[in-house]
Amino acid sequence: MEEFVVATLRYGTPLVYVTMAGVLAQRAGVWHLGLEGLMIIGCCASVLGLVQSGSLLVGLGIAVALCVAASALLWFVVEKLGANPIIAGLGLTGLGLGGSDLAVQAIYGSQATINAPIGLPRLGHQFGNFGVLSVLVVLMPFVVFGLWVLLRRTRFGLQLAASGEHPFAARSVGVNPSRMRLIALCLGGVLCALGGAELALGSLTIFAYGMTAGRGFMGFSAVIFGGGHPVASAAAALFFSIVGAMGIRAQLLFGDRVPNDLLLALPYIATVIGVWISGRLRGGAKAASSFGELRDY
Amino acid sequence: MEGKLIAVGRALAFVLLALGLCGVIFEFAGYSALEMFESIADGAFLNPNAWQGSLRWALPLFITACGVIISFRSGYFNVGAQGQFYMGAIAATFVVDFMNGLPAAIVVPFSFVGGIAGGAVWALWPGYLRVRSGADEVITTLMGNFISGLILIYVTGGILKDPSGTGQVMASRPVAIAYRISSETGLSPAIVGTAVLVGVLMWVLINRTAFGVLSSLAGRNPTMVVWQGARMSRLGLAGFVLGGALAGLAGAIEVLGPNGRLVSGFLPTHGFTAILIALVAGLSISGAAIVSLFFGGLAAASLYLPVLVGLPAAAIDIINAAIALFITARAAPGLGWLIGRRSRAAGGA
Amino acid sequence: MIETLIAEASPAAALQCRDISVQYGEVSALVGVSVAFAPNLIHAVVGQNGAGKTTFARVAAGIVMPIAGTLAIGGREVSTGNVSQARAAGVELVHQSFALPPSFTVAEAMEFGAERGRPIFARRGLEARWTRHLENLGVRARLRDRIRDLPVEAQQGVEIARALVADAKVLILDEPTAVLSPVGIETLFDRLRSLKAGGVTIILILHKIREMLGVADTVTVLRGGRLVEGPISASTTDARRLSTSIIGLQTEKGLTAEDEAALVGASVGDLAAASQTTIAMEGATPILTLENVVTRGDAEGPALEDVSLTIAPGEIVGVAGVEGNGQRPLVRALSELANLQSGRILLRGEDVTRTPLRERRARGLRVIPFERNSEGLSLSSALWENWSARQLLLGPALKLIAPARYRKECDESLKRWDVRYTTTMQPAGSLSGGNAQKLILAREIDSDASLIIAAQPTRGLDVGATAFVWRSLREARARGCGVLFISSDLDELFEISDRLVVMLSGRIAAEFRPPYRLSDVGAAMTGAH
Repeated sequence: MEEFVVATLRYGTPLVYVTMAGVLAQRAGVWHLGLEGLMIIGCCASVLGLVQSGSLLVGLGIAVALCVAASALLWFVVEKLGANPIIAGLGLTGLGLGGSDLAVQAIYGSQATINAPIGLPRLGHQFGNFGVLSVLVVLMPFVVFGLWVLLRRTRFGLQLAASGEHPFAARSVGVNPSRMRLIALCLGGVLCALGGAELALGSLTIFAYGMTAGRGFMGFSAVIFGGGHPVASAAAALFFSIVGAMGIRAQLLFGDRVPNDLLLALPYIATVIGVWISGRLRGGAKAASSFGELRDY
Repeated sequence: MEGKLIAVGRALAFVLLALGLCGVIFEFAGYSALEMFESIADGAFLNPNAWQGSLRWALPLFITACGVIISFRSGYFNVGAQGQFYMGAIAATFVVDFMNGLPAAIVVPFSFVGGIAGGAVWALWPGYLRVRSGADEVITTLMGNFISGLILIYVTGGILKDPSGTGQVMASRPVAIAYRISSETGLSPAIVGTAVLVGVLMWVLINRTAFGVLSSLAGRNPTMVVWQGARMSRLGLAGFVLGGALAGLAGAIEVLGPNGRLVSGFLPTHGFTAILIALVAGLSISGAAIVSLFFGGLAAASLYLPVLVGLPAAAIDIINAAIALFITARAAPGLGWLIGRRSRAAGGA
Repeated sequence: MIETLIAEASPAAALQCRDISVQYGEVSALVGVSVAFAPNLIHAVVGQNGAGKTTFARVAAGIVMPIAGTLAIGGREVSTGNVSQARAAGVELVHQSFALPPSFTVAEAMEFGAERGRPIFARRGLEARWTRHLENLGVRARLRDRIRDLPVEAQQGVEIARALVADAKVLILDEPTAVLSPVGIETLFDRLRSLKAGGVTIILILHKIREMLGVADTVTVLRGGRLVEGPISASTTDARRLSTSIIGLQTEKGLTAEDEAALVGASVGDLAAASQTTIAMEGATPILTLENVVTRGDAEGPALEDVSLTIAPGEIVGVAGVEGNGQRPLVRALSELANLQSGRILLRGEDVTRTPLRERRARGLRVIPFERNSEGLSLSSALWENWSARQLLLGPALKLIAPARYRKECDESLKRWDVRYTTTMQPAGSLSGGNAQKLILAREIDSDASLIIAAQPTRGLDVGATAFVWRSLREARARGCGVLFISSDLDELFEISDRLVVMLSGRIAAEFRPPYRLSDVGAAMTGAH
């Protein structure tokens, strides 16, 4: 049982970080489909930074810097150039995936899997089974709580929510909704960097192409499933993680009788079910998502 | 006409902006941006076999892009073209396998039907969930992409597995020569003819039928058409299913045509590229025909780069992604006037 | 002789503008407006829709940046386009459609605009902080309630309370009377008078002369973005003069004196204008019959409870009532966008309760929806596409069409309806409000129409466009159509309705025939009947 909790936390912590970034964006009024790209930038930059410089902090620093820069780029394209956030988000994801691929090929000459010499600091043997958990895992519930306080118990949080829900109301009290979105996205960038670092260096200490495997999109669905509320969305993310961890465990137990691929598909299927449920809860077909315009003429 | 010229100009401007960003990224990664762009241009358009390669990639992309155009015009973000493409390919392979031995005149059309059905079904379930329960279609179709990828691995590693395969890459048995609709070049009357037929039919559907106008209105303001008495469930679902059907058809064409068999993880960026084509073309069929050639060229270049010049194919993915980032931007002169009018109309000064 | 109350360069002016001009793209919203408001008075700013009143209010509050001109508050100049500076100087704006995020609780709505206080709070502390403030202002709303669950008057109370959080010296209210019942208007005016007694300068944006005469000390008139008159003392002017200032010299064809009075809300006193020309034929099958209609309440409005109504051919039935009392559910039930729990709907005697909207439209139902821009038009689609939508839905979806033919027909239709446009290919969003409404009328009022549901059809339209809408509906009535006219403007309803019903809490509370008494109708609207 303890092992299962550990497995869920390892699987789930990166997802929760990314989900929190999505919550910030959602409150500010941005549908953030670039989470996947930011996460892989976090993975790649932290590993490459660590390997090239030998210092974990340098790796993390580079990851944070790149993720914040990429988030600012998304903000610029959506706010200043008026691009459709869904497509721009997918583009950012593509840039993250391609960019990390390019960086690896530039340094190593091929699409290799990179091994990192060390991982994130862990709790240690005193904590028994939980000793393998990294500091970022321990930090995670504080991040969720901190975000909850920020969003629902501070004036800044209210102004952020107003920027997303009713931008005119925000402007009428002197708040600039556009600037709020920049802050939200950049803060989210930091969280994505941490999530990526945890994924790459938390338990495995490697970087492999495409290692995020849709976690960024799952995080986005957790935000929708949780209604944009920090704690509810974190719970949704953990739910998806439990399904994922169960799938991995089931592979070990039932590997011969049930196809592996079906078990690997479980978290994706759970995500679909989650989105379906939240759709029903929020009014069914009447609740239309906002498309924005795709055409010039 | 003037509106179209502005639109083309704007698309061009943002493509150039995207290429600029890519140049920065290439330099940052330690490559010479100039060398990259030269090699890409070479692989896409300049070398003697370029046009053949570009066309081979452009034709299936065009077919899928037509489906994306219809979906997006109906107002739904069906980004599951990749998954629908895979499911169509899988369905077509099953048909060929099942009907092995029958004359080509029967097998080929049936496998096309299979491809269409496979893609349509894979678009039907997210469409249904969206239209009935409000389940966000971006997520469901994206998840559908991941799930179909896993199904592809499962199928090519199991039921359809080629027993003589080397084990490095999982693939099905090669499609019998008799059923092939083209060689590796991917150019044949069957494929070209299908692409042209699809293009013409979709153009007529969009521009010369009531459905075309109504779904276009629905795509821009679903509330308005509902107040006119349209049923979004019908309009929207039709858009979804048609999108999936065409992607599935493209999948069938790839398997029976240039690919020759079903390979695990083949063409992983086909769907995303088709979406890009649809957007760059401003959701117009005639535009998509031209833009498909451009992106077909880029796809050809992505093979050329690592083999002939030693540069990573990821460069092409980055170009595609950068174009996606900028292409829906609307900041352009001529739009300020529209916004100004609208604020007056909305206000009651 | 007009007595100007304020000397232009008085340093004691509570709010002073010099040469303010505002441009939205190619449109001039305000041109060279210079005005000074004396402290401790209630100043009315009147004008028709489109005159620039809201823009003026927003410039004064710092939300809109003018391209020219200066602003001085309490004698000291402040930068334009800067909300923080304006608020620091004591200017607060109460918006026409409230600037309150719907999902916020009342306490949160008060807090997010506050300038002082701790940055972090606990929920209970927050509620304690604002309870007293709201009580002092007589706002009846619990702090834990969400804005979207409050009735309209309470929302406005919260909006005003929010504006008074910091010590406001100048309170600007943008069309606050539009959503209120006559009783609510009186309550609001009482509140404003007590604020004035407490030292606040009040600038009130209105477009009804009668209201202005009821509460204001001075009047300023805007027309076409320019200052036409004022500030002049309210006691030295009269309805006729103001009416001319507001409308200007162009006289609309077919505009009777009564129409004009209704357009500017000038009719003073209790009784509305004389009889209407009812063309209703006795004994003919009613165009519309609603029998004991019951619907479920939802996010769009309260439940309809046992609503019965008939409309005869050649009759305009007006629906009065404060917004949110069932008007929207009524229109949605008629348009098959909401299902009936029980009851029947009959068009010309035929039961259409289970018939889809498309069928109902084919049988003559036409709808001019509440929200022009989101329900009536697709703003980014071409004019001809918007216009053709109704016809295209009459036939099968795969029917082959020739767009050129529709464009030509649209062209002819729009010209007949006097719509100002360049080409039928331009997007609907490029039309002004009045022209956009005419486009909707051109689409909906065709020769096959028999029942026209007009939901707030003149909201936001200027005098000319409003008169045009009235004329079109009267012409439809003359042809034998039945019209259901829903509006929050009692002057309009009194002028145009052959019969008037009042909706309250999802029921039809009362029915009236002309001549209409403002006091009776007002009482029915608030349930004191």
